[in-house]
Amino acid sequence: MEMDLKRLAKLSRLRFTEEEEKKFQGQMEQIVKMVEKLPDLDASGPLIDPNSPMEMRKDVAEKKFNRDELLKNAPQVQAGCVVVPKVVEE
Amino acid sequence: MELYQLTAWELFEKMAAKECSAEEITQSVLRRIDQKEGDVQAYLTLNKEASLAQARAVDQKRASNEALSPLAGIPIGIKDNICTKGVKTTCASKILSEFVPPYNATVMDKLDATDCVYLGKLNMDEFAMGSSTENSFFQKTHNPHNIKYVPGGSSGGSAAAVSAGEAVLALGSDTGGSIRQPSAYCGTVGLKPTYGTVSRYGLVAFASSLDQIGPIGRSVKDVALLYSAICGKDEKDTTSIRREYPDFAKGIVPSVKGMTIGLSDEYFGEGVSDEVKTAVMKAVDALKEQGANVVSVSLPSTDQTLAAYYIIASAEASSNLARFDGVKYGYRTKEYTTLEEMYEKTRSEGFGDEVKRRIMLGTYVLSSGYYDAYYKKAKFTQKMIQDAFQTAFGCCDLILTPTAPDTAFQIGENIHDQVKMYMNDILTVTVNIAGLPALSVPCGFDKKGLPIGLQMIGPKFSEGVLFNAAACYEELLGGFSAFSALK
Repeated sequence: MEMDLKRLAKLSRLRFTEEEEKKFQGQMEQIVKMVEKLPDLDASGPLIDPNSPMEMRKDVAEKKFNRDELLKNAPQVQAGCVVVPKVVEE
Repeated sequence: MELYQLTAWELFEKMAAKECSAEEITQSVLRRIDQKEGDVQAYLTLNKEASLAQARAVDQKRASNEALSPLAGIPIGIKDNICTKGVKTTCASKILSEFVPPYNATVMDKLDATDCVYLGKLNMDEFAMGSSTENSFFQKTHNPHNIKYVPGGSSGGSAAAVSAGEAVLALGSDTGGSIRQPSAYCGTVGLKPTYGTVSRYGLVAFASSLDQIGPIGRSVKDVALLYSAICGKDEKDTTSIRREYPDFAKGIVPSVKGMTIGLSDEYFGEGVSDEVKTAVMKAVDALKEQGANVVSVSLPSTDQTLAAYYIIASAEASSNLARFDGVKYGYRTKEYTTLEEMYEKTRSEGFGDEVKRRIMLGTYVLSSGYYDAYYKKAKFTQKMIQDAFQTAFGCCDLILTPTAPDTAFQIGENIHDQVKMYMNDILTVTVNIAGLPALSVPCGFDKKGLPIGLQMIGPKFSEGVLFNAAACYEELLGGFSAFSALK
């Protein structure tokens, strides 16, 4: 089975050197071979488990954090905002 | 006997009888950490001063006759993927190496209410992906029984710390065996709870439909105590289940009289070592003598289950880990011009190889053209497995299997062969796929002196039954502490 590792890396937002690409190519093909051992079964019908319904909480705003606390973990901050490269063209 | 060698329950009784203080207990464990940590390397963060201050506060409460939880003053370690307010939570990843959560996981809020003592944060495979704790960005944890061997994973730091006496109890997390397999390798008792009984809020997500936080200890009662403290409905986790949760530790009746144990040939197949098979069957025979019946049950092939597991877990991981982009928190690459370049370099520099493989596998099985053949089929396989367990539990109360196909392997032995590494999980992943509870308890040693684990699987919400059966076996062996590396 041939795997398009370049495309997969792009979709995964990862980038590799040529050497790494070769290494991962072989490893990923082995892993995919392993996960192909699925049984031949009828994949139709519902999958929802009616015995465990999910309970949503009420959508109520509460004050838990202040801005400074949340920005403490951000890699780059300016004037109370997270800084990222320019994404909108003039 | 040193204090660090005792179980939580024994320590609770000693404190209640004023035979020792919480401060003395924490000091004893901290001394043990000083002595063993150089070899074991279980901790990523240690809070020595803070833990002693917490212990002293418990002693003050006791002196003023305040009502205290049995966990008050008990030194506990926390796996480093559980958010601890103000204390670094790294997931053993470079990408979160400086992350300090501004909030607590729900389990931490619940533990706060017990006045237990936090020793620190424990090593793990990066993002809980692995079976040996070798995938940590920071350090390799060593098996305290023999430091050439892995402690298992991904909660390897948690199991190693408890086994070595560097913690009395620990929290781990289990997505495909990450509490039970390291418990088997280190000789501890570990519970993967029924899915939905412990809140996942504040647990850094790996595979949200499979992840559960659970306790690791050196006795069944200790594990039941910690489980009782952390379980329950949480508004912040929609998958958490509202129901009555009993006091599990109080409810233990160490007996298997009239219980029916199921055995499945699938779980004693060719990949399982003879030593492991013999030890597990010896445990089954011992429980039979105590009044249990044994029947054989049919379960789906473990190969198919492992395939379904890796597809579902990786699919969810690839979505969950999309949040690590270097924008709002975590590591960010140093040089970049475009946003896309920033994302790609941040992720490529921040994640280790195993995490990259799982992200790519997940992306692959979810990508257009492959979704039906992999992800959809895996979800239907999951349903088939759930149905098979339901049928099996129609004729037995619990199913006994080995926890892992073999005992611990040497550090470095499997690191270059992913498929061989994944085979370590072949007997544990089913439980997560089916949402069931399972307990791993020690049941012997191999020729090398490494512990062997016995897995007890029950129907949903049957933790109480598992504790009863495990406690019965524990009594027969005269306790499980002898399987830890406390000397």
